[in-house]
Parts: sequence; C-alpha cells; structure tokens
Amino acid sequence: MNKGFRQSQSTLHTWSGLLLGWVLFLVFLCGTIAFWREGLNRYMRPELARVEQPMTVLAGAQAFLQTKAPDAKSWSITMPNTRIPGSQVFWQPQPKEGEEPTRGRRGRGDTRALIGEDGQVVEARETRGGEFFYRFHFDLYYMPVIWARWLVGAAAMMMLVAILSGIVTHKKIFRDFFTLRRQKGQRSWLDGHNASAVLALPFHLMITYTGLVTLMAMLMPWAILANYTDRDKLSDALFPSSAEVERAGQPTPLVKLTSLVLDAERRLGVPAGFIQVSEPGDASARVTVNAASSATLSSRTASVTYNGTNGALVWQSPPSGPAATTSGVMIGLHAGRFADITLRWIYFLCGAAGTLMVASGLVLWTVKRREKLPDPSRPHLGFHIVERLNVAVIGGFPFAIACMFWANRLLPVAMKDRADWEVHTLFIGWGLALVFVLVRRPALSWVALLGATGVLLAALPFYNLLRFNQNLLTPLRTGDLLPAGVDISLLIIAAAFVAVARRVASYKTGQAKRRSRRHADPQTGLMLEPAE
Amino acid sequence: MACRDSLSIGPRWRWLDVTLRIVAAVPMGYAVASLWAMALARMLPGARSEATVTGTLVAFALCAFAAMYAFAARSGVRAFFVLLTLGAIAGCITWTSISAGGRL
Repeated sequence: MNKGFRQSQSTLHTWSGLLLGWVLFLVFLCGTIAFWREGLNRYMRPELARVEQPMTVLAGAQAFLQTKAPDAKSWSITMPNTRIPGSQVFWQPQPKEGEEPTRGRRGRGDTRALIGEDGQVVEARETRGGEFFYRFHFDLYYMPVIWARWLVGAAAMMMLVAILSGIVTHKKIFRDFFTLRRQKGQRSWLDGHNASAVLALPFHLMITYTGLVTLMAMLMPWAILANYTDRDKLSDALFPSSAEVERAGQPTPLVKLTSLVLDAERRLGVPAGFIQVSEPGDASARVTVNAASSATLSSRTASVTYNGTNGALVWQSPPSGPAATTSGVMIGLHAGRFADITLRWIYFLCGAAGTLMVASGLVLWTVKRREKLPDPSRPHLGFHIVERLNVAVIGGFPFAIACMFWANRLLPVAMKDRADWEVHTLFIGWGLALVFVLVRRPALSWVALLGATGVLLAALPFYNLLRFNQNLLTPLRTGDLLPAGVDISLLIIAAAFVAVARRVASYKTGQAKRRSRRHADPQTGLMLEPAE
Repeated sequence: MACRDSLSIGPRWRWLDVTLRIVAAVPMGYAVASLWAMALARMLPGARSEATVTGTLVAFALCAFAAMYAFAARSGVRAFFVLLTLGAIAGCITWTSISAGGRL
C-alpha cells in the first residue's frame, strides 16, 4: 500500500469517526446494554418471581384473555421462559363498523397485560426496563422515529467507513495490538484506541454491517423500487404467512393453546416464542405459533398455523431462499437473541470494547490537537466544542443511565406515568451533567461525572440488599442467579468508573511533568498524522 | 494521467478539491450504491425477491467503498467523474432493464 493511500484514509478515518461520533457512542453503549434486555426487564421489576412452569403461565394467559377480550380481533402472547418476566399479552379489539382495522399499538396500557409465574395478572412497577436501551439504540428519544433511524443509519455508515479506513491507516495492526504504552499521553490513547478496535475487530465489522441491514428497507429501498411497484408483493415473498380469515360470526370455543404449543414445538424442533391468535372464540379462529428467536440464528423464525377450533394444522412456513436467509441471519447476529449466557457475555464484552473504541477515538482527537494549539489555555471554537461534547456525552450519558437505575428504584410505585418519568429522569440527569460541563473546566467535569457514575452504580446493590432483602446467598436458595449477577456486574462496572476517574484526576498533575519532558522526546506524538 | 495529483494543487484550490471529494463520497457514494443495488436487483438470476435482497445487502459495502475511493483518488475531480461514470453505467442497466421487462 502506498503512503498517499494510507494518508488519505487517515483523514477519512478522522472525520468520518468524529462527525457523528457522539451518536455512535450512544448507539454502541445502549446496544451493548441491550444485550441484557431481558435480564434488565426482570431486574428492574424486582417484584416478579422467575417463571418456572411456562405452560402454567400460558394456560393462565389464555384464561385471562378469554375473560378480558373474548371477541377480540387478535391476541398476541409471548411464550414465557426462565429468562423473561412472565408472559406479555396484547389484544386488538374488533374494529368498529366501517372502520379500517387499526394495528394495535403495543405501548397502550389498556390492551396489554403481564401474566406472572402463577398464571395470574401481575402488577409490577411500571418501567420500560431493558426495552428502553433497545429502543433508544435505534429510535433515540423525544424525536420522530424516522429521523432518529436515518440519523443512526448515517452514523452506522460513517462507522463502517471509519472501521475500513482505520484498518487501512493502521500500519502495524498486529504488533500494535500487543502494545500498550501506559502513561505516555497521546501514545497511550492511541494504543487504547487500537487495542479496543483490533481486539474485537470482526465483531465491530459484523455489528456495524448487520446494524445497517436491520434498517435496510428504510436506508436502501432502491433495489425494491427497481423490481416492485407494490412493496407488499415483496413482503409476501419474503415473509409468507397463512391466508387471512374472514370472521364467521359463529361462537366456537378455542382449543387449549398449551396442547397446540406442544405440537408446534415438536414440528418446529425448537421451543415456541410467540403465539398469535386471530378471531379467538369464532369458528374461523387461527393460531400461529412462531419458533423462539433464542433458538435460531436467523431472525426469520419458522412458524406453523392451526385451525383454532379443532387444532388441525393448516399451514407451515416454507424454507426461505439463500439471500433472504442471509439477511435473516445477519439481523439475528446483530440482535444476538440466539446467544446463550457465555456467548452473551462475549457479545457484551465486544460491545463494551466498541464503546471504548468510539470513546477513546473521540478523546484522541482532542489529545492529538491540544499539544499543537497555539495557546492551549484558549483553544479555538472547534476544539472547544469537541472537548466539551466529549465530556457531556462520554461522561454524562453513563451518569444519566445511573440516574435512571435509581429512578427505577425510588419513584413511587403508584406514580402516574411512572415508566415515562424513569426515562425523563435519565434526560434530566443528562441535562444537569451538560450544565455542569458548560460551567466547569473539562478536566474537573471528567472526574466529577465519572466518579459520580461510579458511586451511584456502586450504591445500587446495597440499596437492593436493604430494600428487597436480596443478598449473595439468595441465588443459592432460589437458583435464580440474575439479580445477584446484575448487582455484581454493577459493582465491577462502578469500580471501573471510579478507577478511571482517579486516573483522570492524577493525569492533570502528570501532564505538567510531561510537558517539560516533551522537548527531550521529539518522537512522542507524531503518528497517524492526517494529511493536513 | 490527465488529472493532476491533489498534492500538486496549490492551497488556493484545496477547498475545491476537498469539497469535490466530500460530494463524491457522500451524496454520490450513496447514489452509486443505490443505482448498483437496482442494477443487481434487475440482473441477478433467480427469484426477484432474492435478487432484491442481495442487491440491497451488497449496497452498503459499495457505499463504504465509494466513500473510501473518493478520498483515495488522485484528485477530487477524478473521484467525481469516476463515480459519475459508475453511477451512469448502473443507471443505464436499470433503465434499460425496467423499460424492457417492467416491474412486478
């Protein structure tokens, strides 16, 4: 590779990484947390017991829906397992005369319920739980979803360009991987950026590309336009389903869902994940059972459809073509729903490495330029903005997340719009962090925000211990490792935040020393120089 | 080469060179990737739905490579015209194919 090519890619790497780098940080961080979506759903509802008997819950869900919404247009039932807090059920009322059937909004409280491990409706604290991180990861918040997805999609594209150009830029990709020069200022940041990037490079490439694929119908609709005048024709080809039924108007009891699910699991060869009942209680009733996404690599799960009155099999999803399977597997790889606990930890650690890669890259931008400023105490506006944004996002957002975890514990259970207020608390915390960043020096804000995050996260397990009487021996008694596992992980993460805060605090004094030494060491500081 | 090396362009014209590269990398990169996605969706054998998905999946890589090329090219002018040509080829394939075969 010639020198000019590498230099051109270095410029590209710098700017494609910087411009939407803060969005990328949020996306990477929340996506990483969202690998524990189901676990956090349960952790953030400490009232709920773990599901031990999924079939009891399913029978309870059917009994509940039969009394609550006997003549609904459709029911949706999430098949419970030991990982999720009970069975979430939704129902869609019959459309009124002459009205188009509405797609039931899942968020609406009056058409959904949570069935607990004893088969009864449970009243847990209102929270978005881990779902918040999952949605924020691509929908952001307080803004139209479509804008958010375009913004996240653009950030992901720039990430892909940044990764590819970063590989080109990187001369000694393997040697540098084993190099970590500590306490060397810019070199250390560069080494840290390289290590977090190279360590999980296949993961970063995979997660970025597959992330684009999850939004492909929106970001890249042109191939569809080239072949179809009607998008539904493509949907029918890619996602075939059993024919829609007309309501017969003859009341007929629905078969027991538990027996259908057992039959479906035998046919599909994997556990059931999701059950859809259309026209329950009518002679035309249909029951569709989808395979669990935790059991297949592809996000396109197989399904079987039964006649809901006599239990006869009426339809089975055909195998999909190679390209459709590829896209399904790519989306499945991105979401990682198939990952068992070991693989999930690997996903989480790789995601954490990606988050650190983005963060260290953003910080590196300022570190590289600080020493070249004509007057480091009065930097130009661009430098000023990047430096403050770095603290506000990289330091401020984890602090905001810690605030939300506390809101989840402290807001009154009976509070109106409680789940919304948990999220508002996150943004209020972030806003406060931003104000702090604007009025204080960045060096101080870094220490304060990282330290505060560490303290808030570390205190949470102790609160849980006092409030819910959970302690490290509880899992031995109940066999449920999740609450204690989250608490221990939080303690470790908190310790990391405090350690980094201490390092930053001591860095200030170290910086003054290095500055005087720099004249004797002209080698330090000039690598990866963009062609400017 | 008819095009001059960007390094030999004086500082007076650097802004133009960089602007052209950015135009080539971002809007043109996306347009070229989209047009090739369309061309692939038209030309690949097999079921239409399969060709459509393949074209779309490949397009993201094309988009990234176009952006990399825009900065690696000897000059912004060259990047601009190369991408314009590539886009035009895909556009011709797509247009010819649709006017000959129609859409579903």
